[in-house]
Amino acid sequence: MKIWSSLLKIDRRIIYLAVAISVLVPLIFPFSIPTNVMPPTQVLFNAVDNIDPDNQAMLISVDYDPQTMPELQPMLKALLRHAFARRLPVLVMSWPVQGLGLGKKGLDEVTAEFNRLAQTAEDSIIYGRDYVFLGWPPYWLAAVLRMGSDIGQAFPADYYKNRTSALELMKRIKNYNDIGLIISIAGSAAPQSWITYVNTRFGVRVGAGSTAVSAPDFYPFLNTGQMTGMMAGLKGASEYEHLVHTRYKTTGEMAAIRGMSSQSIAHLAILVLVVIGNIGYFVTRRKQ
Amino acid sequence: MSFDPWIWIGALLTLAIFSFLYRENPFYRFAEHLFVGVANGYAITVMWHLVLTTRVITPLRGGNFIVIIPTLIGMLYFCRFMPRFAWLVRFPIAIALGFSAGVSIPAVLQASFIKQIQGTIVYPHTLVNWQQGLWAVIILIGVISTIFYFYFSREHTGILKPVSYIGIIFIMIGFGASFGYTVMARLSLLIGRFYFLFKDWLGIIK
Amino acid sequence: MKRKIPLIIVLVLGITMMIQFFIPHKFSKDIYMNILDWIAIIGAFAFILGLGSIIRHHIDKIRRKKEHWPYSWVTLIAIVMTAIIGLGGGMEGKGPLPVSFPIVTSAGARVISYSIQTIYENIMAPLGATMFALLAFFMASAAYRAFRARTMEATLLLVAAFIVMVGVVPLGHFISPRLPYLAQCIMDVPNTASKRGILFGVGLGVAATSLKIMLGIERNWLGGGK
Repeated sequence: MKIWSSLLKIDRRIIYLAVAISVLVPLIFPFSIPTNVMPPTQVLFNAVDNIDPDNQAMLISVDYDPQTMPELQPMLKALLRHAFARRLPVLVMSWPVQGLGLGKKGLDEVTAEFNRLAQTAEDSIIYGRDYVFLGWPPYWLAAVLRMGSDIGQAFPADYYKNRTSALELMKRIKNYNDIGLIISIAGSAAPQSWITYVNTRFGVRVGAGSTAVSAPDFYPFLNTGQMTGMMAGLKGASEYEHLVHTRYKTTGEMAAIRGMSSQSIAHLAILVLVVIGNIGYFVTRRKQ
Repeated sequence: MSFDPWIWIGALLTLAIFSFLYRENPFYRFAEHLFVGVANGYAITVMWHLVLTTRVITPLRGGNFIVIIPTLIGMLYFCRFMPRFAWLVRFPIAIALGFSAGVSIPAVLQASFIKQIQGTIVYPHTLVNWQQGLWAVIILIGVISTIFYFYFSREHTGILKPVSYIGIIFIMIGFGASFGYTVMARLSLLIGRFYFLFKDWLGIIK
Repeated sequence: MKRKIPLIIVLVLGITMMIQFFIPHKFSKDIYMNILDWIAIIGAFAFILGLGSIIRHHIDKIRRKKEHWPYSWVTLIAIVMTAIIGLGGGMEGKGPLPVSFPIVTSAGARVISYSIQTIYENIMAPLGATMFALLAFFMASAAYRAFRARTMEATLLLVAAFIVMVGVVPLGHFISPRLPYLAQCIMDVPNTASKRGILFGVGLGVAATSLKIMLGIERNWLGGGK
């Protein structure tokens, strides 16, 4: 009885230490568990896989900031690897200002991965031909509605201050009719905004890469088909990395898969903590 | 271990934030204030290079003087800091509010209301597959009972009581699922930081 | 007039944008495109409100020597220095201000950059990410102390949370393939139903608030004064 009371009053820093150990030890000594792919991730992967690269492009919106970077940056990189492996043209934009730097970082890293292995210009990933970094729109709603008629007007200049309409890719990708899929990678309700204002009005398909916190909120849209697939949290990112690597044999660090052993053990640790807390509560309450 | 000075700066700032777990201290405060300052400085940079230069200065240089009008309207935001002219800030705010209110009404009703009602209705063809049909009926019951639970204009007595209780059950299961995913999210963020510290900085993780 | 004209602007613009949604005529579309182009520029300046408020707040803190006032210098200096580096150096570090310098190390010559992107990746990103990473510890502590199966409903929440927590990680599939299936069922059915019910309320609330703003019933945005 005494032990349960003292366990309930344990200093919070001991709990912090327990969580830290449960995360750190599997990172240093990882074990591999087969990745099982959940249906929403598979749907998203299939949707990207079925875009015709000769006629359409994929638009990725970096709708997150550094606060949710560990969960969402692996999603961006996995999507870019998927697109570049298929030679699917990609447009990248950012909704929050702070997402710009992460979009640039992801593009630079994945482009470098592919260009390290490329032997000719055809194999290489070239800016303006294979992808365009549109940058940041000052008023998101106005920009995404404008993109329905002319992407070049919504983003007169790209991130590197090139005139957008002069870029090779933008000569054939004019508006949403030329976009096969929009993927909003977000730590907020941004995918819902894309569905509300873009999917509803223009009919273009919208998929999502979402933090695990927001993912449950998007299931009504998955259910109605308004959202075409979703990666949920770091697990979703690991599933997508697994799918891309299995199909296209891409190289490059798969940070999400790497984190899964930590994720599994840490979840069990939280479970144990909650169970101990409840047992202690009921034992002490019964004695009282 | 890394010898890149920037990795060291990133690692020390990470540890400064983590020091808050022990207790609040000057290192944490310094890091917190530094973050606010750098974030705003970055935003100023983006605003200049990607917005003002490309959407105002370049068109003006090209002879497109129409952009002066929205620029002047936008600059009315500065009046917020002049007490005598502070009322002028209402004009650009009114334009932004009117625009977003007008655009959002039909869009939100269509996406969050009409489409969702369509998704909730159980059609005869849904019942052909028994599993799909069962889930569709359960979702229908769940949606209706959840809406009944949130109807607070009347006391939950009579028929309202059992229906709203069913709603509570669905809401509790939904929140339980949300909590499970929240645990995953928070731990993922911690995994990311530890990965940086122990791989990029210390080189312990191979 | 100082309050009436903005209210009229909200009403007229709001109705215009609502009606425009349903009118495919070229004239309507042309007006719509012009409004979109103008709003993009007007909206950019809204950032000034936030920046001005932060600068005023910290200057005020320094002047009145409020608690922890020396740290306000950190914020102000960081804003100024980052802005100078970004404005002078450019987004890519190719501006008129040099943002790198060469050094010679034992491993050879290398260049140390302090461009805006470098500052973003090595100062802003680690700080932002770590601030949210703290939540993992707070969440664990809160779950340990407060998450109690006191009632039937709380027990239901706890059980659903446990199934989802174990089912969504690869370990869950390793323990039993039924666990991920059960977790997915929970997400697809009861979770969808409850979130949809909440979504109806939120959607109607957004539409109602937008209508209230347009009709001038909601006037808090006008602020105080005449």
